Amino acid sequence: MPRALILAALLVALAAPLSGCRDTGADSQLIVTGSTTLLPIAEQAAQGYQEANEGTSVLVSGLGSSAGIEAVSAGTSDIGTSSRDLKEEEGVLGLVDIPVAFDGIAVIVSPENPVDAVTTQQLQDIFSGKIRNWQEVGGENRRIDLVNRDEASGTREAFKKIVMADDARFDRSAVVLPGTGQVRDVVSHSEGAIGYISVGFVEPRFTDTRVKALKVDGVEPSEETVTSKEYPIARTLHFFTKGEPQGLAKSFIDYVLSSEIQNGVVVEAGFVPVTEGGGE
Amino acid sequence: MSAPNGSTAVAGELQLVSRQTQLKEWLLAALFFACAFLAVLAVALIFIFVGWRAAPIVSEVGLSEFLLGSVWAPTDGDFGIRALIQGSFVVTFGALIMGTPLAVGTAVFLSEIASPRIRSVVRPAVELLAGIPSVVYGFFGVVMLRPIIAEVTGGVGFGPLTASIVLAIMIVPTIAALSEDALGSIPMGIREASFAMGATQWQTIYKVVVPAAKIGIVDAIILGMGRAVGETMAVLMLVGGAPQFFSGVGQPMSTLTSQIVMDMGYATGTHRTALFGMAAILFVISMALVLTVRLLSRLRD
Repeated sequence: MPRALILAALLVALAAPLSGCRDTGADSQLIVTGSTTLLPIAEQAAQGYQEANEGTSVLVSGLGSSAGIEAVSAGTSDIGTSSRDLKEEEGVLGLVDIPVAFDGIAVIVSPENPVDAVTTQQLQDIFSGKIRNWQEVGGENRRIDLVNRDEASGTREAFKKIVMADDARFDRSAVVLPGTGQVRDVVSHSEGAIGYISVGFVEPRFTDTRVKALKVDGVEPSEETVTSKEYPIARTLHFFTKGEPQGLAKSFIDYVLSSEIQNGVVVEAGFVPVTEGGGE
Repeated sequence: MSAPNGSTAVAGELQLVSRQTQLKEWLLAALFFACAFLAVLAVALIFIFVGWRAAPIVSEVGLSEFLLGSVWAPTDGDFGIRALIQGSFVVTFGALIMGTPLAVGTAVFLSEIASPRIRSVVRPAVELLAGIPSVVYGFFGVVMLRPIIAEVTGGVGFGPLTASIVLAIMIVPTIAALSEDALGSIPMGIREASFAMGATQWQTIYKVVVPAAKIGIVDAIILGMGRAVGETMAVLMLVGGAPQFFSGVGQPMSTLTSQIVMDMGYATGTHRTALFGMAAILFVISMALVLTVRLLSRLRD
């Protein structure tokens, strides 16, 4: 019997410092969750911020924009990153919107595909399954293999909003992939495939595989055409905080909006800085 | 100190050795009971929790609309999971068709043919297959298998064929180990009788030993099926995630498990309830499989 008592006391003694640990860790740790599109900006900014501020740690993860918004409103992360605007029903969550960059969505195919340009209407027909052969948009006689993003993706949400207007629905026979990298990789290896990714990921960055970005309505996707709003499939990238950002979150956001990041990391990642675009 | 008592205990009445020993025995029994009870408690709690979270699906979507509806488009308010159930079964049966001969063949080899030396190499290798994390299987499938399937079927390589091939490898250890147990439990005398009648080794295997171990092997296959239905990560990475009905082995589909993982990060409201509903369906499927195995075992005894 006394042995059991000693054991219980030991357990309590072991557990005590664990709960204490959390309090000291909270102040110097920032959790950033959300869009996979924003991942390169958030990660490199986090690295720079940690180097400049000893003893802080910024944890960045990419689970999709909706997951980021869900996490920040639930309080499990300090900043939610999103590549789409808030939906109507998310307006009540009390989130503060901080635009951090602009982005265009490029429609990509394999470099072997002879098709170079499509219209927004054709894109809608392709992704809703009305057009199923490349021949119908001036290509070879080959089946179109749709590559779509998962529903948590902000890129999908933005693409849907801009391209799939008039309540057109995505064809459900599309392959659904959970990340920009996978879409790019699969499309680069499949001649009949079509997908969409951020303009910033079209040029090979971490791989040697190539994809071809199509002209949409006659406009080539590029930083200039996205900034000038000529390119039709463009969007704003956001940070969200629950209530006005404070403390570490505010300091990190200021750092992301500084010209060091905006004209460095943001531009390098293929996005367009907000400072030039006159943040909305 | 209990020595003088020990000699008088022969009389028939049991004597208390020491109170401390008795207490220790009792505590140990209680400890092991707690271990066993914890497992039961965990199953019960998960079942209650999943059921409780899934129940609103009946009023929010309707049971028949949920189970028989053909469109899964949660953001548009369509919560029909028939295509996902079909996907789970297509992938599972594909895996069983390819995996069962492989696994039963392995079991027959290990139990009937292999010399002890070869067995000591092959058996750990098969067991090692069970220890590989499923994300590694999925990664292998994406990198190695998918381009080949894409070449053969002319699509992008995601679909039930790719998922089934990888799943077939994954269920081999389960089916092989249990089948080998079943074959091993057949008394040696039966084989000797067969040989004495002049039967060859092959005739003994397929006419005597395997039929005798039939129910055990079926048990093994059903448990392998349970493993395949529930497998998530590898399937998620390979099946394509398209919630449509079967339209060719190279065309993407989706399964119950992979759809739950894909959606759970952001699902809210009815969508979340629907995911719990799918979890409940999976629970029912695996419970049915375990019950089948129990019934078969009773048949064997």
